[in-house]
Amino acid sequence: MAEISRKCVPFTPYERELTRATVAIVTAAGVHRKNQEPFNIADELGDLTFRIIGADDLASDLMVTHHHYDHSDADQDINVVFPIDPLRELAKEGFIGEVAREHIGFMGYTMQLKRMYEETAPQIAEEIDRKSRADLVVLTGG
Amino acid sequence: MCHRTVVAVQREIEMRGLTTVLITVSPEASRQMRPPRALYPKGFKIGNALGKPHMRELQKKVLRDALSLIKEPPRPGEIIEREYTEYGAENQPE
Repeated sequence: MAEISRKCVPFTPYERELTRATVAIVTAAGVHRKNQEPFNIADELGDLTFRIIGADDLASDLMVTHHHYDHSDADQDINVVFPIDPLRELAKEGFIGEVAREHIGFMGYTMQLKRMYEETAPQIAEEIDRKSRADLVVLTGG
Repeated sequence: MCHRTVVAVQREIEMRGLTTVLITVSPEASRQMRPPRALYPKGFKIGNALGKPHMRELQKKVLRDALSLIKEPPRPGEIIEREYTEYGAENQPE
Protein backbone atom coordinates (compact mmCIF):
# COMPACT_ATOMS: atom_id res chain seq x y z
CA MET A 1 0.00 0.00 0.00
CA ALA A 2 1.01 3.60 -0.49
CA GLU A 3 2.76 5.39 2.32
CA ILE A 4 3.49 9.06 2.76
CA SER A 5 7.19 9.75 3.09
CA ARG A 6 8.60 12.24 5.55
CA LYS A 7 8.68 14.71 2.70
CA CYS A 8 4.94 14.28 2.07
CA VAL A 9 5.49 12.38 -1.13
CA PRO A 10 3.18 9.40 -1.73
CA PHE A 11 5.33 6.32 -1.91
CA THR A 12 4.57 2.68 -2.71
CA PRO A 13 7.55 0.37 -2.22
CA TYR A 14 7.88 -2.33 -4.87
CA GLU A 15 8.34 -5.66 -3.10
CA ARG A 16 8.49 -8.00 -6.10
CA GLU A 17 11.26 -8.50 -8.59
CA LEU A 18 11.29 -6.42 -11.77
CA THR A 19 11.24 -9.67 -13.73
CA ARG A 20 7.68 -10.20 -12.45
CA ALA A 21 6.47 -6.63 -13.01
CA THR A 22 3.58 -5.71 -15.30
CA VAL A 23 4.39 -2.28 -16.67
CA ALA A 24 2.14 0.45 -18.12
CA ILE A 25 3.09 3.77 -19.70
CA VAL A 26 1.33 7.05 -18.92
CA THR A 27 2.40 10.11 -20.88
CA ALA A 28 1.58 13.81 -20.83
CA ALA A 29 3.08 14.19 -24.30
CA GLY A 30 -0.26 14.18 -26.16
CA VAL A 31 0.00 10.63 -27.55
CA HIS A 32 -3.10 8.93 -28.95
CA ARG A 33 -4.14 6.42 -31.61
CA LYS A 34 -4.50 7.89 -35.08
CA ASN A 35 -8.13 6.76 -35.17
CA GLN A 36 -8.98 8.43 -31.86
CA GLU A 37 -10.19 11.99 -31.49
CA PRO A 38 -7.13 14.25 -31.33
CA PHE A 39 -6.58 16.46 -28.31
CA ASN A 40 -8.18 19.87 -28.64
CA ILE A 41 -5.33 22.27 -29.26
CA ALA A 42 -7.67 25.04 -30.44
CA ASP A 43 -9.04 25.61 -26.95
CA GLU A 44 -6.85 28.07 -25.06
CA LEU A 45 -7.83 26.41 -21.81
CA GLY A 46 -6.25 23.16 -22.92
CA ASP A 47 -7.73 19.66 -22.98
CA LEU A 48 -8.44 17.67 -19.82
CA THR A 49 -9.32 14.38 -21.49
CA PHE A 50 -7.16 11.30 -21.88
CA ARG A 51 -6.92 8.45 -24.40
CA ILE A 52 -6.53 4.74 -23.71
CA ILE A 53 -3.91 2.95 -25.78
CA GLY A 54 -4.36 -0.80 -25.98
CA ALA A 55 -1.94 -3.68 -25.54
CA ASP A 56 -2.06 -4.51 -29.25
CA ASP A 57 -1.65 -1.01 -30.63
CA LEU A 58 1.51 -0.62 -32.67
CA ALA A 59 3.85 2.35 -32.53
CA SER A 60 2.81 3.09 -36.12
CA ASP A 61 -0.84 3.37 -34.97
CA LEU A 62 0.04 6.27 -32.67
CA MET A 63 0.58 9.99 -33.11
CA VAL A 64 1.00 13.19 -31.10
CA THR A 65 -1.38 16.13 -30.89
CA HIS A 66 0.17 18.79 -28.70
CA HIS A 67 1.10 22.39 -29.37
CA HIS A 68 3.39 23.20 -26.47
CA TYR A 69 6.51 21.30 -27.43
CA ASP A 70 8.34 20.38 -30.61
CA HIS A 71 7.16 16.85 -31.37
CA SER A 72 8.86 16.48 -34.74
CA ASP A 73 11.10 13.72 -33.31
CA ALA A 74 8.06 11.89 -31.89
CA ASP A 75 6.43 12.18 -35.33
CA GLN A 76 9.37 10.15 -36.69
CA ASP A 77 9.48 7.68 -33.80
CA ILE A 78 6.80 7.78 -31.10
CA ASN A 79 9.14 5.86 -28.78
CA VAL A 80 11.06 9.04 -27.92
CA VAL A 81 8.11 10.06 -25.70
CA PHE A 82 6.10 6.82 -25.47
CA PRO A 83 8.56 3.92 -25.20
CA ILE A 84 6.24 1.09 -26.17
CA ASP A 85 8.70 -0.76 -28.42
CA PRO A 86 11.58 -0.61 -25.89
CA LEU A 87 9.14 -1.82 -23.22
CA ARG A 88 8.02 -4.77 -25.36
CA GLU A 89 11.66 -5.66 -25.99
CA LEU A 90 12.45 -5.54 -22.26
CA ALA A 91 9.54 -7.91 -21.66
CA LYS A 92 10.79 -10.27 -24.37
CA GLU A 93 14.27 -10.21 -22.84
CA GLY A 94 12.86 -10.98 -19.40
CA PHE A 95 13.99 -7.70 -17.79
CA ILE A 96 10.35 -7.10 -16.81
CA GLY A 97 7.49 -9.59 -16.60
CA GLU A 98 5.02 -8.23 -19.10
CA VAL A 99 3.54 -5.20 -20.79
CA ALA A 100 0.24 -3.99 -19.30
CA ARG A 101 -3.12 -4.33 -21.04
CA GLU A 102 -3.48 -0.62 -21.51
CA HIS A 103 -1.58 2.65 -21.42
CA ILE A 104 -2.69 6.26 -21.29
CA GLY A 105 -1.95 9.42 -23.22
CA PHE A 106 -3.07 12.88 -22.19
CA MET A 107 -2.05 16.42 -22.97
CA GLY A 108 -0.33 17.84 -19.96
CA TYR A 109 -1.02 21.38 -21.05
CA THR A 110 -4.06 23.05 -19.48
CA MET A 111 -5.00 26.34 -17.91
CA GLN A 112 -7.52 24.47 -15.76
CA LEU A 113 -5.05 23.16 -13.22
CA LYS A 114 -7.58 22.64 -10.46
CA ARG A 115 -9.65 20.34 -12.68
CA MET A 116 -6.50 18.60 -13.93
CA TYR A 117 -5.41 17.84 -10.38
CA GLU A 118 -8.84 17.08 -8.91
CA GLU A 119 -10.54 15.34 -11.83
CA THR A 120 -8.24 14.18 -14.62
CA ALA A 121 -5.36 12.91 -12.48
CA PRO A 122 -7.56 10.73 -10.23
CA GLN A 123 -9.50 9.47 -13.29
CA ILE A 124 -6.29 8.38 -15.01
CA ALA A 125 -5.07 6.73 -11.79
CA GLU A 126 -8.35 4.87 -11.44
CA GLU A 127 -8.29 3.71 -15.06
CA ILE A 128 -4.74 2.37 -14.74
CA ASP A 129 -5.43 0.78 -11.37
CA ARG A 130 -8.63 -0.99 -12.44
CA LYS A 131 -8.03 -1.88 -16.07
CA SER A 132 -4.38 -2.12 -17.00
CA ARG A 133 -3.34 -4.90 -14.58
CA ALA A 134 -0.08 -2.97 -14.16
CA ASP A 135 1.75 -2.91 -10.84
CA LEU A 136 4.42 -0.58 -12.17
CA VAL A 137 3.90 2.61 -14.19
CA VAL A 138 6.45 4.59 -16.20
CA LEU A 139 5.47 8.20 -16.85
CA THR A 140 6.87 10.68 -19.35
CA GLY A 141 6.32 14.41 -19.75
CA GLY A 142 7.32 14.78 -23.36
CA MET B 1 3.77 22.61 -17.71
CA CYS B 2 3.41 19.01 -18.92
CA HIS B 3 6.32 18.11 -16.68
CA ARG B 4 4.35 19.34 -13.68
CA THR B 5 0.93 17.90 -14.46
CA VAL B 6 2.47 14.51 -15.19
CA VAL B 7 3.76 14.42 -11.61
CA ALA B 8 0.25 15.15 -10.30
CA VAL B 9 -0.90 12.06 -12.19
CA GLN B 10 2.12 10.10 -10.96
CA ARG B 11 1.33 10.93 -7.34
CA GLU B 12 -2.32 9.90 -7.77
CA ILE B 13 -1.26 6.54 -9.19
CA GLU B 14 1.22 6.02 -6.38
CA MET B 15 -1.49 6.85 -3.82
CA ARG B 16 -3.53 3.96 -5.19
CA GLY B 17 -0.77 1.56 -4.25
CA LEU B 18 0.99 1.21 -7.59
CA THR B 19 4.67 1.94 -7.94
CA THR B 20 5.69 4.62 -10.44
CA VAL B 21 8.76 6.19 -11.99
CA LEU B 22 8.90 9.38 -14.04
CA ILE B 23 11.29 10.13 -16.88
CA THR B 24 11.53 13.92 -17.00
CA VAL B 25 13.44 16.23 -19.31
CA SER B 26 12.34 19.33 -17.43
CA PRO B 27 13.67 18.55 -13.96
CA GLU B 28 13.06 22.01 -12.47
CA ALA B 29 9.36 21.87 -13.32
CA SER B 30 8.98 18.27 -12.14
CA ARG B 31 10.88 18.84 -8.90
CA GLN B 32 8.36 21.47 -7.77
CA MET B 33 5.71 18.74 -7.67
CA ARG B 34 7.93 16.21 -5.85
CA PRO B 35 7.69 12.98 -7.78
CA PRO B 36 7.90 9.67 -5.86
CA ARG B 37 10.73 8.57 -8.20
CA ALA B 38 12.21 10.33 -11.21
CA LEU B 39 15.05 10.04 -13.69
CA TYR B 40 16.49 12.97 -15.62
CA PRO B 41 18.58 11.93 -18.64
CA LYS B 42 20.94 14.87 -18.51
CA GLY B 43 20.77 17.30 -21.40
CA PHE B 44 17.89 15.58 -23.23
CA LYS B 45 15.64 18.20 -24.75
CA ILE B 46 11.88 18.43 -24.38
CA GLY B 47 10.27 15.99 -26.76
CA ASN B 48 13.17 13.54 -26.33
CA ALA B 49 12.37 11.88 -22.99
CA LEU B 50 13.88 8.58 -24.16
CA GLY B 51 16.43 10.03 -26.59
CA LYS B 52 16.38 10.53 -30.33
CA PRO B 53 14.30 8.79 -33.00
CA HIS B 54 15.28 5.22 -33.85
CA MET B 55 18.11 5.06 -31.27
CA ARG B 56 16.52 1.95 -29.84
CA GLU B 57 19.46 0.85 -27.67
CA LEU B 58 19.62 4.29 -26.01
CA GLN B 59 15.84 4.31 -25.52
CA LYS B 60 16.04 0.89 -23.87
CA LYS B 61 18.92 1.95 -21.66
CA VAL B 62 17.03 5.00 -20.39
CA LEU B 63 13.92 2.88 -19.78
CA ARG B 64 15.95 0.18 -17.99
CA ASP B 65 17.59 2.81 -15.79
CA ALA B 66 14.22 4.35 -14.93
CA LEU B 67 12.75 0.95 -14.02
CA SER B 68 15.86 0.10 -12.00
CA LEU B 69 15.30 3.13 -9.74
CA ILE B 70 12.42 1.14 -8.27
CA LYS B 71 14.84 -1.29 -6.64
CA GLU B 72 17.24 1.37 -5.43
CA PRO B 73 17.09 3.06 -2.00
CA PRO B 74 14.10 5.43 -2.04
CA ARG B 75 14.67 9.15 -2.48
CA PRO B 76 11.09 10.48 -2.72
CA GLY B 77 10.83 14.00 -4.08
CA GLU B 78 14.29 13.86 -5.67
CA ILE B 79 15.27 13.59 -9.30
CA ILE B 80 18.12 11.26 -10.20
CA GLU B 81 20.36 12.54 -12.98
CA ARG B 82 22.18 10.21 -15.40
CA GLU B 83 24.44 10.93 -18.35
CA TYR B 84 24.05 9.28 -21.73
CA THR B 85 26.91 10.24 -23.99
CA GLU B 86 25.26 8.47 -26.95
CA TYR B 87 22.61 11.18 -27.01
CA GLY B 88 25.04 13.79 -28.18
CA ALA B 89 26.79 11.53 -30.67
CA GLU B 90 26.66 12.79 -34.22
CA ASN B 91 26.47 9.37 -35.77
CA GLN B 92 23.10 7.94 -34.98
CA PRO B 93 23.22 4.17 -35.34
CA GLU B 94 20.52 1.81 -36.64
